[in-house]
Amino acid sequence: MADKLTLRHIAKTFEVEGRRVPVLQPVFLGVAEGEFVTIVGPSGCGKSTLFNIVAGLLPPDPGGGLLVDGRPMATTLGRVAYMPQRDLLFPWRTVLDNAVIGLEIQGVPRREARRRALDVIGQFGLAEFAEYYPFALSGGMKQRVALLRTFLFDSDIMLLDEPFGALDALTRSILQEWLAGVCGTYRRTILFITHDVEEAIFLGDRVVVMTARPGAVKLEVPVGLERPRSPALVTSESFVALKKQILDAIRDESLRSFATQARVEEPE
Amino acid sequence: MTPAGRRRRALVDAIVQVAALGGLVGGWELIVRLLGVPRSIVPAPSVIGAELVQIHGLLAAWSAYTMTTALEGYALAVAGGIVLAIVLESSPALERGLFPFFVASQAVPIIAFSAVVILWLGNGPLSKVAIAFYLSFFPITISVVKGLQSCDPAAVALLRTFGAGRAQLLWKLRMPVMLPFLFVAMRIATSTALIGAIVGEWFGDNRGIGTFILQALYAEDTVRLWCGIVCCAAMGVVFYGAVTLVERRLLWWPAPALD
Repeated sequence: MADKLTLRHIAKTFEVEGRRVPVLQPVFLGVAEGEFVTIVGPSGCGKSTLFNIVAGLLPPDPGGGLLVDGRPMATTLGRVAYMPQRDLLFPWRTVLDNAVIGLEIQGVPRREARRRALDVIGQFGLAEFAEYYPFALSGGMKQRVALLRTFLFDSDIMLLDEPFGALDALTRSILQEWLAGVCGTYRRTILFITHDVEEAIFLGDRVVVMTARPGAVKLEVPVGLERPRSPALVTSESFVALKKQILDAIRDESLRSFATQARVEEPE
Repeated sequence: MTPAGRRRRALVDAIVQVAALGGLVGGWELIVRLLGVPRSIVPAPSVIGAELVQIHGLLAAWSAYTMTTALEGYALAVAGGIVLAIVLESSPALERGLFPFFVASQAVPIIAFSAVVILWLGNGPLSKVAIAFYLSFFPITISVVKGLQSCDPAAVALLRTFGAGRAQLLWKLRMPVMLPFLFVAMRIATSTALIGAIVGEWFGDNRGIGTFILQALYAEDTVRLWCGIVCCAAMGVVFYGAVTLVERRLLWWPAPALD
């Protein structure tokens, strides 16, 4: 079966003050239909740059390209559901209207978009808050609204960039479990960036470990754990073994990156 | 705060405000009477009040005339400012080329240009509308350009990934983000539009509250001069208040404080 999403030779070099700074070495990655792939790596490894390229916001260096269902895409803008790190909810829109903005841009009439949102809003635990404005919500709820917005956008490919990065540990673990459940219901093809190795294993069908900058795929670890997964899983033997394998690989890379750190910040 | 608590606070605020205004007017009256200040320097509020009542028909008609020209110039400035700002924002080359002139126009007392406007457009209301317009137009344009540019690049990126084009970015993101900036400028522009309409009459007209003030000045009629001032103040406060009310209706979300 052809992969849903293929990253073929995706590399990126930035020009900084006349110097060419490679941020991504050629990355090759295939994501199967309905697969949940998590990406971890040392900070500054180019994960966000990779996502910006897959989302269509940045062109990759010449020679590389993205394929959806095996077909090369000129641009992926409007084709993948992208969720950035911050919730980016619009303060002038209610929860419901924030959730449907992607659909609105796709041209779905507002009434129809709202109906679709109301059909699933309960599963996001937001049914009573549909008419609230974002300022009245907690951080965890805002993140769920942002997830709902990403889910509603009519696309079978989702890119989630550290969606729980800014949340406290408890909210985070609750949302992880909930996301695992939601993803079980709606089989979407998902790429998920995180710093948190446990999160990567708990959520993923496969964990991709990236090298230090310039980033490339260092290691791909299939997660053979059964679904649905319960939080108790994280202390099981197989989970701990996976975690050790991945942490060792990241530690390796972090040390390497520490030793040869380029003095250039990654542009957002 | 509960609705009852809010009502109580509003009542207290109103009482304090009325008392302050009453104290000011009362104190003024008292000082003028006790010190025997001549009417030609500062007339007592009671004298001004009596004159206001006496000639209220004329004042109302001429205030209406001035207010109308101010409002028309203001409306044109708001509409034109928004349109030009959108054009400037969408073309970086145009913005870089023209924006400095807009900023410079803030430093130049462009009211000096009014005499020419009277020559071109005549003694009627049209010239006042034009003067009110150009006094308000530049600040509004500058604010709206700043507002349109102030949206979060990450939010722009997000909408682009959803496939948003220029027009959708404008309507769904830039315009709402721009609104608080627009309203700050619109509140300030209420007074510049009124100044334009009033001062415009000084360059040539036979009606309006500016004309009324000028006539009182030539006649050295201080009481009437103060009647004119009261009318101008009332127009300014009502205009500003009306714009603030509209702002409260349209800006229901907590926006960054800009002033």
